[in-house]
Amino acid sequence: MSDPSGGYSGRTASPSDDADRAVLVLVADGQLDALQDLYDKYRTMAYSIALRITADASLAEDVVQDAFLGAWRNAARYVEGRGSVKTWLLSIVHHRAVDAVRRRKPTTELPEAEAVPPSNLTLPDIWSEVAGNLERDEIATALATLSDVQREAIELAYFGGLTQQEIASRTGAPLGTVKSRIRLGLLSMRHALVGAGGTLAADGFGDEPS
Amino acid sequence: MTEQPMTHAQAIDLAAGYVLGALEPAEEAAVHAHLRSCPESHHEFEELGGVVPYLAEIPDLELVEPPASLRDRIMAAAAADLAERKSSATAEPAATTEPPAPVEPTAPPGPDAAPLTFPSTAERPARRDQISPFGWAMRIAAVVAIVALAGWNLMLQGQLDRTQRYDRAVADVIAAAGQPGSQSVILKPNGESTARGIGAIRSDGTVVLAMRDLQATSGTQVYETWVITPGEGVAPVPVGSFTVDVNGTAAITTAPTTAPPGSVIALSLEPGPGSTAPLGPIVSTGVGVAPAG
Repeated sequence: MSDPSGGYSGRTASPSDDADRAVLVLVADGQLDALQDLYDKYRTMAYSIALRITADASLAEDVVQDAFLGAWRNAARYVEGRGSVKTWLLSIVHHRAVDAVRRRKPTTELPEAEAVPPSNLTLPDIWSEVAGNLERDEIATALATLSDVQREAIELAYFGGLTQQEIASRTGAPLGTVKSRIRLGLLSMRHALVGAGGTLAADGFGDEPS
Repeated sequence: MTEQPMTHAQAIDLAAGYVLGALEPAEEAAVHAHLRSCPESHHEFEELGGVVPYLAEIPDLELVEPPASLRDRIMAAAAADLAERKSSATAEPAATTEPPAPVEPTAPPGPDAAPLTFPSTAERPARRDQISPFGWAMRIAAVVAIVALAGWNLMLQGQLDRTQRYDRAVADVIAAAGQPGSQSVILKPNGESTARGIGAIRSDGTVVLAMRDLQATSGTQVYETWVITPGEGVAPVPVGSFTVDVNGTAAITTAPTTAPPGSVIALSLEPGPGSTAPLGPIVSTGVGVAPAG
């Protein structure tokens, strides 16, 4: 895509996004003070998410450290057009936090040495994001499109670190119901976010949902 | 490993759970393997996954400031990482951001104490016009912290490194195992050892391994990879040796050999390189299994 703004029809990247990308270039170049800038900008958000998921201050610190170290090492792998630096970073935090919670829970501990790819490999470069710099109230509006049960299922997964099966046993709903709540909830949010002015990032979706 | 490869429809059915990280480990592994091998479009994953980062911004998230010490820890760990990167960059040119190259057979022991050098300004064309005094103070503080807390940092660093390197090694093994004609191997600890991992035997007879919980080698010690083909009285064939640092992980690609299904892959800790038969303890073994069907 030669036109850097080509992927963003409704909105362009905010100055904050651009500044973040510039900082990330320096991080990729091994500049410690750039990492510190990035940390200072997002530490509160990162820590708050980690704390909410782990409900353990010390574990949350480890998660944030792990995530920023991951960003420090993998900054060069951040792909522009797949969302902002902020969402990239926060998705790393989220994944590490969920991994940490899972490791702590004996019931869902990974079987020994099985070929389970650590889930942070699956993030965050597998998908494109909803781009654009959506405001918090727009996100709130998108969330408001969810039914209570959809929101509950999604929050149990995202903030609770529960698997779909665990959500099913926790809520008493059949697994298939949980799966469709999550799927429909995410789709509903997506439509609302796109409708709020976010566009689909960069290339990718030939078949736009109508 | 897993039973049947997942169909495209099954993978799509699990897309929402996958992007939320809400699948059972085996399901996640199967979807992951599917995404790596299936040529069809997976826009469902992208559509659903694109929403996920926004969940972090739900309005009722209570904002909590992390303790100030966390910044120091992160900066110290990053400085240590940078130092290690610099020293490994001089040892092996290229590969700064790429996943680490597979452990070369009988590589020299890894740098135990990386020199703590920062690049000179001349070496940094892209850096900012000015480094704030605080920036330098931070670096100096970071170096002091590393020197003062070397053991602690190494341990911390080790934990992080272990995860990352193992992650990448596992990804390589899964990619290799997905190739036509490949076998897979689960390596389990043997005897007192805790070493474990997974591997793939490719159709060309090379063995790709991702190992963790290996005891660090010291002195001239190396781990040797052996292939023992099925049958009576068959001698183990050494196919590649490597050293392991305190991280205890290894990503290995061996020399090609003949390893039909049922061959045993074994790792032994040898007193030195060049063993033609295992002298040291066998630390981990597994059997090559061809995919069903």
